[in-house]
Amino acid sequence: MNAVEVRNVRKIYRRETEEIVVLDGLDLDVPEGEFVALMGPSGSGKTTLLNLVAGIDVPTSGSVVVGGTDLTDLSESGLARWRSRNVGFVFQFYNLIPVLTALENVELPLLLSALSRSERRERARTALEIVGLGDRERHYPRQLSGGEEQRVAIARAVVTDPIVLVADEPTGDLDARSAAEVLDLMEVLNRDLLKTIVMVTHDPRAAERAHVQRHLEKGVLTNG
Amino acid sequence: MRYLPYVLKHLRASWIRTGSTVLAMAVCIFLFVTLQTFLAAIDAGLESASDRRLVTRNAVSLVFNLPLWYGERIRSVPGVRGVAYASWFGGVYQDPKNFFPNFAIDAERYLAMYPEYRIPTDQLRAFLRDRRGAVVGRDLAERFGWKIGDVFQLESNIPPYRVGGPLQFVVRAVYDADLDRDPGTNLGLMFFHWRYLYEATGRTVSPGSFVELIDDPSRAGEISDAIDALFANSVAQTRTETEGAFRAGFVAQIGPLAYLLNAIGLAVTFTILLVTANTMSMAVRERRREIAVLKTIGFPSGLVMGLILAESFVLGALGAGTGILLGRWVVAVLPGLPVIGDIMRAFSTRGVDPLITVVAFALGVSIAVAAGFVPAVLAYRLRTAELLRHA
Repeated sequence: MNAVEVRNVRKIYRRETEEIVVLDGLDLDVPEGEFVALMGPSGSGKTTLLNLVAGIDVPTSGSVVVGGTDLTDLSESGLARWRSRNVGFVFQFYNLIPVLTALENVELPLLLSALSRSERRERARTALEIVGLGDRERHYPRQLSGGEEQRVAIARAVVTDPIVLVADEPTGDLDARSAAEVLDLMEVLNRDLLKTIVMVTHDPRAAERAHVQRHLEKGVLTNG
Repeated sequence: MRYLPYVLKHLRASWIRTGSTVLAMAVCIFLFVTLQTFLAAIDAGLESASDRRLVTRNAVSLVFNLPLWYGERIRSVPGVRGVAYASWFGGVYQDPKNFFPNFAIDAERYLAMYPEYRIPTDQLRAFLRDRRGAVVGRDLAERFGWKIGDVFQLESNIPPYRVGGPLQFVVRAVYDADLDRDPGTNLGLMFFHWRYLYEATGRTVSPGSFVELIDDPSRAGEISDAIDALFANSVAQTRTETEGAFRAGFVAQIGPLAYLLNAIGLAVTFTILLVTANTMSMAVRERRREIAVLKTIGFPSGLVMGLILAESFVLGALGAGTGILLGRWVVAVLPGLPVIGDIMRAFSTRGVDPLITVVAFALGVSIAVAAGFVPAVLAYRLRTAELLRHA
């Protein structure tokens, strides 16, 4: 069964009178438990496709079905609610909230759930343990290395137990060793926790960790 | 409540900006509280004036007295039930900074016209029997620690009343008031026998003003005209008006000051609005990336807007709370200060009214929330994908 089904998706940005076609009739299937790497030059539409899969943006036409939900049917608030339960995000620059500790950053998505404070804290601690930072829960982002920040960001992404994990250049801001650690962790999440992962990357070494590599060129997937 | 730690952590993280905004807000609310308390004290003084009492004074100026025999003529005017006279003594107790209003009065008749001054019967009798006797308000007695039987001296700074030394008085009565019924009653006054002053000055002085009790308040204008008509061709022409109008005449002297203070208060309030708006705009601008993250992980736009407004609310609440506490403290210590304290005591302020406190808090919070509204709406409108692209 597919975790992600993208059908005949077009995405056009309008800049004044000019129309920029970013995705042009694109199809993509990602089976459950798959680890897919999206590659391609800058401006090829990788991040736009990732945003559509994550429900951050909506296509101009076509459909995007994730976990059985057609995202094009949802309103903006409906998409926000759906994202909070079904998608985990990993960004290139980690995007942790600087005034919150590692534990509070991981707990942040759970504030939208009905869990009690103690339940939220317990889950956040478990997520930090999974990424190997159980002893750093009281540390602020400024007190962590880049690799550690990204691992906290991954803990935040998985703490709600989402269907899909989307990662936009997760190793783009890391040194080789930290990048390898982050990729090891993503492999563990995919293999042991059966998380479906869609990752955008420029880095061939990162892409090699994925089961499937897809290339985008001018808004079209060129190979499988 | 689950989002409160998030809100507080942001305010604490930029504590210099938070502190300066709270301080600015506190100054604004402090000004509001003290100014409104001052104006409320003036209003209370005016409201406590009885519409059944008229005051007759020299038409030229209050500094000129009226002949004593005017009293009998005034008594003959139809509608006048009683007449008493009084003189502003201007006595100083030990040091000018100990100012309090003190009057020489036509004791028995004068006090009968002011039932709001509640004096125990035995003390009133003792006062009326003693030529040197004095009646002091409860606040005044507490201020100087005076008890019944205590002796004190006052020396006037008004030339006709200067008799080569201070006059000696004995506290014979302490008056109080039912402040729920008569809220503006001044408990900081002192009264003594006009006859004592008259004799001490060698029977050379005359009353500063007359007070008339009238039957029908609706005829106040007509009776006032009739009294003034009696002395229209006299050397000392009179001006008669209701007690409220008489007191308002004093207040009019500080009216421009009140307008000025109100205008300054308004300008400060507007400035604080801009300062807080700037603070919140900076907070939102600096946190575009964070707002993008919140929206990406599923925080609805309305909740993001609410979090920003909550920050504004907390800023406003902290500022208003600080300003109110500062205002209450200053209002409490003002009567003890020179110059301004004299004014505050003259208007018998009874601290900050709870209504002023509530309005001040609401004002502070409203300013802050209003200031945060535009940045919050901007955050609400920002689209997640655009935020991520530009953050």
